[in-house]
Amino acid sequence: MDAEPVIDVQRLNVWFGKRHILHDVDFRVMPGEIRVIMGGSGSGKSTLLRHLLGLLKPRSGSVRILGTDIAAASSAEVLRLRRQMGVSFQGGALFTSMTVGENVALPLREHTDLDENTVRIMSRLKLEVVNLGGFQDLMPSQLSGGMVKRAALARAIVMDPKLLFFDEPSAGLDPVVSAELDELILQLRDAMRMSIIVVTHELESAFKIADTITVLDRGHILMTGPVAAVRASDNERIQDLLNRRPRKVEVDTDEYLRRLTEAEVD
Amino acid sequence: MALDAILKPINRLGRGTASALAELGYAGAILVESVYFALVGWRHGQPVRPAAIVEQMRQVGIDAIPIVLLLSFTVGLMLGIQFVSAFSEFNAESQVVMAVAKSVTREFGALITGILVAGRSGSAFAARIGSMNVSQEVDALYVIGIEPVRYLAAPALVAMLVMLPTLTVLANTAAIVGAALYCAPVLEVSPVVYIIQTLHALEMRDIWEGLSKSVVFAVIITLVGISTGFGVTGGAEGVGRATTRAVVLSITLLVVADMVFSFFLNR
Amino acid sequence: MKNECTTEARDGLHLVKVAGEVDLSWSQSIRKAVLDALGRAPAVGVDLSAVTYIDSSGIAALVEGFQSARGKGQKFALVAASPQVRAVLQLARLDRVFPMVDTAEAVTS
Ligand SMILES: Nc1ncnc2c1ncn2[C@@H]1O[C@H](COP(=O)(O)OP(=O)(O)OP(=O)(O)O)[C@@H](O)[C@H]1O
Ligand SMILES: [Mg+2]
Repeated sequence: MDAEPVIDVQRLNVWFGKRHILHDVDFRVMPGEIRVIMGGSGSGKSTLLRHLLGLLKPRSGSVRILGTDIAAASSAEVLRLRRQMGVSFQGGALFTSMTVGENVALPLREHTDLDENTVRIMSRLKLEVVNLGGFQDLMPSQLSGGMVKRAALARAIVMDPKLLFFDEPSAGLDPVVSAELDELILQLRDAMRMSIIVVTHELESAFKIADTITVLDRGHILMTGPVAAVRASDNERIQDLLNRRPRKVEVDTDEYLRRLTEAEVD
Repeated sequence: MALDAILKPINRLGRGTASALAELGYAGAILVESVYFALVGWRHGQPVRPAAIVEQMRQVGIDAIPIVLLLSFTVGLMLGIQFVSAFSEFNAESQVVMAVAKSVTREFGALITGILVAGRSGSAFAARIGSMNVSQEVDALYVIGIEPVRYLAAPALVAMLVMLPTLTVLANTAAIVGAALYCAPVLEVSPVVYIIQTLHALEMRDIWEGLSKSVVFAVIITLVGISTGFGVTGGAEGVGRATTRAVVLSITLLVVADMVFSFFLNR
Repeated sequence: MKNECTTEARDGLHLVKVAGEVDLSWSQSIRKAVLDALGRAPAVGVDLSAVTYIDSSGIAALVEGFQSARGKGQKFALVAASPQVRAVLQLARLDRVFPMVDTAEAVTS
């Protein structure tokens, strides 16, 4: 077993304007691992994900994917990486001008010179995998929300990527489909040897699929550890998240007054 | 504070200038990248597909033919009416042929086509790319390993560079036919003779002037539409705003560019 | 293990033996071997016992072979598929579609 991490983020700091969004984030994922990123709204999960995908370049700290520093990589190297990564976006992000089948086949058509028969079989196979067999000729606008999500997953795995990213897989899905999706994520790891990063709010799903969980809170990593360790953590913020407790908001009088009264800076 | 009252507008002006410059730089980068991908993209796994270019040519060019013909025919007719009435005041009707021919080929053919295409396609570019941006489709292209500029901008640019001059030629023809239908009876010649006289009156450089303008218009419309689209934030409302902005901005730039061109070419 | 694809002619049967990690880089040669075998023998088995990984382009090659065999009424089966191969087949429920046998002899029976 090679011990090279597939994702290696070190001391990542992110600012949007003057707001410090991610603080000294270290994040490491090993091959074959299923990692769940959890955290409240606005804690920086999507921002971290966008850095892992190379959609944002780190200005401080480093992001290495499959051993390559994406900020320093040449465009050919980035292209090589992209062929080994699959992403299923929260809203699906299917191309609305193409059929479902064309959407799923697009990465194959762009990156391989496989024969058209093979492309067709491979893309329909992936639709079967996500239980959308026979839906290839529909347009994305004709699919339900859950079907869009599954079609997006089919597109994400069509190249058999080493790394699969999944933003909010179960949000807005019925419990049965969401359980099937969890099962599928586990199977993909086992059969296709993928390493999988999942951003989710659903605790039940997180505990079922995760090997390890990273908890983000207001841009800080509170902890990264196996499911049991996270559940047993005595950190108050983590327990708030796990037990769906409303968080206690500390009130700093000066700060509060300043926020209410400060003139706008434009 | 009094100082504030002075500094604020200056500050805002400064920021406005900076963002206009940034936008110009952005549009320039899209232009350079599109040309790069169109020429050598295939060597780096980023080919600009002929099928995509053909599809764009259909959308921006072929589909626009009826409306371009109709509009330029009408404008040609109007020019005929105006020139006949203006020239007849000092008995110079014979100059009508020349005046119509030159103003159409140098100016109006390209301008009318440009404005029409800006309204049809500039807005369509902004709307399409804007909504793709909002729905993360542009991100999806990136992570699949498809450069959005190569996939979305380059085919549109190539198609526009081919189709806008082509449409301009059609517009010139329709406008002159329109003028002929009104002017020929007034000048007591047949429309065919009128058109032959027009061809004699025209020089190569008249045609070139119009066509070179249309090439510049093609670049302006494409870049404004596309860069506005890529810049969309703020959901469906943002897409709507971007569409309007793309049309207004590209028509404004187009008219200004036209004026600059005419000034330098006719000195 | 070395990536390899060889074809053995037996009586009334061609056996395509695949070994190693099947991925995009060479799955097309398996596709060709399977289709070639189907052109020459009435029955074809694909021995997958030594396959440690197979990606979907490899699976696609098998699907194409099976489809072509059915079209011409030929026999086609996967022989002694390794657990890794079975796991991938199960993903798309193909384990219930392909004829799966344990020995080459069973292909023709
Ligand atoms: N493009 C941006 N410009 C400015 N601020 C941003 C931008 N994107 C995100 N932020 C800010 O960064 C912080 C983290 O946002 P992020 O989207 O990463 O949160 P999240 O954990 O994904 O939340 P959610 O669960 O609601 O999706 C938020 O405070 C947000 O306002
Ligand atoms: Mg988010």
